[in-house]
Amino acid sequence: MKRINKVYVMLALMILMFTMKSNAQIVKAEIRATGLTCSMCSNAINKQLKALPEVISVETDLNTNTFTVTLKEVNELNPKVFKEKVEKAGFFIGSLVVTAKSETITKSPYILVGKNSGTGSEVQFQVVDKGYVTDKEFKKVSKSYKDIATYLADNEDDFHIKILN
Amino acid sequence: MRNCLLFFVALFCQNALSQELFVVTDPASNVPANSLAVNVMQSLFKEEMKSGYNYHFMPEVTYGLNKNIMFRASAFVSNRNNDLVTEGGSFMTKYRFYSSDDLNSHFRLAAYGRYSFNNADIHQEQIEIMGHNSGFETGIIATKLIKKVAISSSVSFEKAFDNKPNYPFPDAIGDNATNYTLSIGKLMYPKKYTSYKQTNINLMVEFVGQTINENGKSYLDVVPAVQFIFNSQARLDLAYRQELMSSMIRSAPNGFYFNLYYTFFDLKNKK
Repeated sequence: MKRINKVYVMLALMILMFTMKSNAQIVKAEIRATGLTCSMCSNAINKQLKALPEVISVETDLNTNTFTVTLKEVNELNPKVFKEKVEKAGFFIGSLVVTAKSETITKSPYILVGKNSGTGSEVQFQVVDKGYVTDKEFKKVSKSYKDIATYLADNEDDFHIKILN
Repeated sequence: MRNCLLFFVALFCQNALSQELFVVTDPASNVPANSLAVNVMQSLFKEEMKSGYNYHFMPEVTYGLNKNIMFRASAFVSNRNNDLVTEGGSFMTKYRFYSSDDLNSHFRLAAYGRYSFNNADIHQEQIEIMGHNSGFETGIIATKLIKKVAISSSVSFEKAFDNKPNYPFPDAIGDNATNYTLSIGKLMYPKKYTSYKQTNINLMVEFVGQTINENGKSYLDVVPAVQFIFNSQARLDLAYRQELMSSMIRSAPNGFYFNLYYTFFDLKNKK
């Protein structure tokens, strides 16, 4: 009996560990890039994103330069990866909307600004840090977040997020 | 020689921002990081002082080190002495030091430097380190992209050295110059994108001028061009260069350009 209990506990722990991991992750990223209007430029970003091993697919709207990136089940990517990739192609992020398991945003690199999330299993949020919005947008939002010390600190490894759903 | 030519045509080619990918000038934007662009430029210019045409073959390789710095190596082959001869080469680096991007627009500034060597005879007052003179050039480029139109302008200082070993730079003519360019490009087709496979067509017009600093002798050329982009990866340019005015001796100012480009994106991750 005791042995069975132990097995159950082990199993339960393993399942818990597994689900915890898969809960804390980005499922999809919608990137709008700035600074380009040509398909060759767009392709440069497309190729950079596709080079990520965690990426399943990249769908592009060439007219708006929006890239919808679908990611593999288990990944540990954070928004910085997308910023680096877009900048490597020679461009910048104008907006980044991330769909993630709702548990993701309760963890450390994410700092919530504005209202809290809904109750769904997935959460959709926009990263509002410098480099993730257009320069004009940043000037605007940095005024409204002027009381948030971490926002002004401009630390590249934390992400201030606004819940959209 | 033919093998060499075939090799580069097979490899052919370059990248970045199509409306900005001018034929005779460079935009402030660079090739993407980790990407290799191969360009085969060919030009056929009519000789003014003798009969026939001056053919130049100029293969180029450009590498994006990171998002702000790129390097380029070029070789210069010409038929000036009837046979095709490799006359020299060139190294160039460009640093993008300012970017202000917004949705469908950007403004960028870059600085560049180029060093070239060449062993051909010196036969004109025009200083051209891309295929004619040994020397260096350094300058600044500003590029503005607004929706489908790109405007780019540059100012540079160019100095010629002796074309070693046989042709010292003549004392009688000025050995340094100021260059200025103005380029405008517009995406004509497609009006609306549907896929990366669509062929893009750009129309461009470029103005290229030079003033020899010592004596003020100058020229100004216009270069209209049509450009095709295939599969968002390869590029073909057809351009014609026409002298508008000149007060200096130039051996072959008017002629055609034919360029082929190809970009190998993101090399490091392709193994």
